[in-house]
Amino acid sequence: MNRIIDAEAPATRLAALRVAVGVFTLVYLLGRSPVFLALADRPPADFDGVGVLRWFDAPIGSSLLTAIVTATIIGGACSIVGWRYRVTSVVFAVGMLLLTTFRGSWGQLLHFENLMVLQLLVLAASPAADAWSLDARRTQHDEATQPAESVRYGWPIAVVGLVTIVTYVIAGIAKLRYGGIDWLGGDTIQNHIAYSAARLDLIGGTPPLLAEFVVRRGWALGAFAAGAVVIELAAPVVLIGHRSRNAWVAAAWLMHIGILLTMSVGFPSPLFGVAFAPFFALERVVPWAAAQWRAIIRQRAAS
Amino acid sequence: MEPITPTRRTMRVAVTVGVLAALIAPVAIDRDSFPLSTYPMYSRARSSESTIFTAQGIAADGARRTLTPTLIGGSDDPLIVVGELRAAVAADRGDERCAAIAERVAQRPALDDVVTIEIVSERHDTVDRTLGNDSLLERSTRAECAVER
Repeated sequence: MNRIIDAEAPATRLAALRVAVGVFTLVYLLGRSPVFLALADRPPADFDGVGVLRWFDAPIGSSLLTAIVTATIIGGACSIVGWRYRVTSVVFAVGMLLLTTFRGSWGQLLHFENLMVLQLLVLAASPAADAWSLDARRTQHDEATQPAESVRYGWPIAVVGLVTIVTYVIAGIAKLRYGGIDWLGGDTIQNHIAYSAARLDLIGGTPPLLAEFVVRRGWALGAFAAGAVVIELAAPVVLIGHRSRNAWVAAAWLMHIGILLTMSVGFPSPLFGVAFAPFFALERVVPWAAAQWRAIIRQRAAS
Repeated sequence: MEPITPTRRTMRVAVTVGVLAALIAPVAIDRDSFPLSTYPMYSRARSSESTIFTAQGIAADGARRTLTPTLIGGSDDPLIVVGELRAAVAADRGDERCAAIAERVAQRPALDDVVTIEIVSERHDTVDRTLGNDSLLERSTRAECAVER
């Protein structure tokens, strides 16, 4: 717990996380905005509010829904560039919370947007615009006046990471809690894969690329099932050191690739690496990329 | 390393514990919600036999035509389409949904031979279905409507 509470990091690392999570979420929102807006056409009788909407008897109306989508997009763009971050980050985070909660309030809870929203909520409560932002430029904050590393920036990053870690552990617990030890045998996962494939086939969608391949080799699914549970329950190892962090992130990412290829179910935040972003020194990516680019330019100039 | 202020550290401990408690709460009370969740995806036992709702086009000669998620549910997301279809049938709005599907099908030249839409629930051995074997165990028609052109 001390690694989280006393974690130190430069302002640029928290800023880099702000940009990474913000860009991913905004692009996701822009791509899915037709889906969110189409919720206004759903029959009101089907509305079953969950989370922050559970006290609502009726769905959000079309005009208000459009306003929320618009405000969230604007808030997202502003928070990415760090303009009036204290306000715009809250608009972005609360807007995404409302939209994704609304999407899950029609009798079918979806679980691939939770991590994205929780990360945004933590970042909205943090000083993530103290660097690499219009706010920092306006208030003349710069790296020379900031401490090299501070718990002010490290702790929020560690909390975002804690959200990721706990999410995976809970998912692993759920498999053993609801599926029992039998879940590790492979039959359950085989039937889930087969069900996903059959459902897609019958609804006119494209069956998952590897569904038939793995179902035909059901004898191997026990190992995959056990592997998935081990990966999820082992999430806290990212806190041990760089090697365990890298190994776990690679394993978790590959697990999501496997889920995508066998069930056509994509969890966008882990698949694009954003779920794992708090575990890395993101602020080094830009200088590293710039150095690589300069090396390529020099090489071309020399040849 | 900057000096640690006891009061601020206490605040960080309290907030971190609060975040942890919020994340774990759904597990403690066994209640799935959003965004705080028990993450029960694919955790419950599932039989190899499942009932799946879908909509099919019926040609004049009785041949069945598979439709697409966009035609069935007006969305390219199959999960959403299946969920909406099931909810519509459960809420006794199958006829209404059938009519909406028929209207979309009527605008597709490639489906000119489709004269009727059926919303059905089919029970399949999903493992057999995935392996390309005969899998249909039972079919029940939940709604039926004509395609008007």
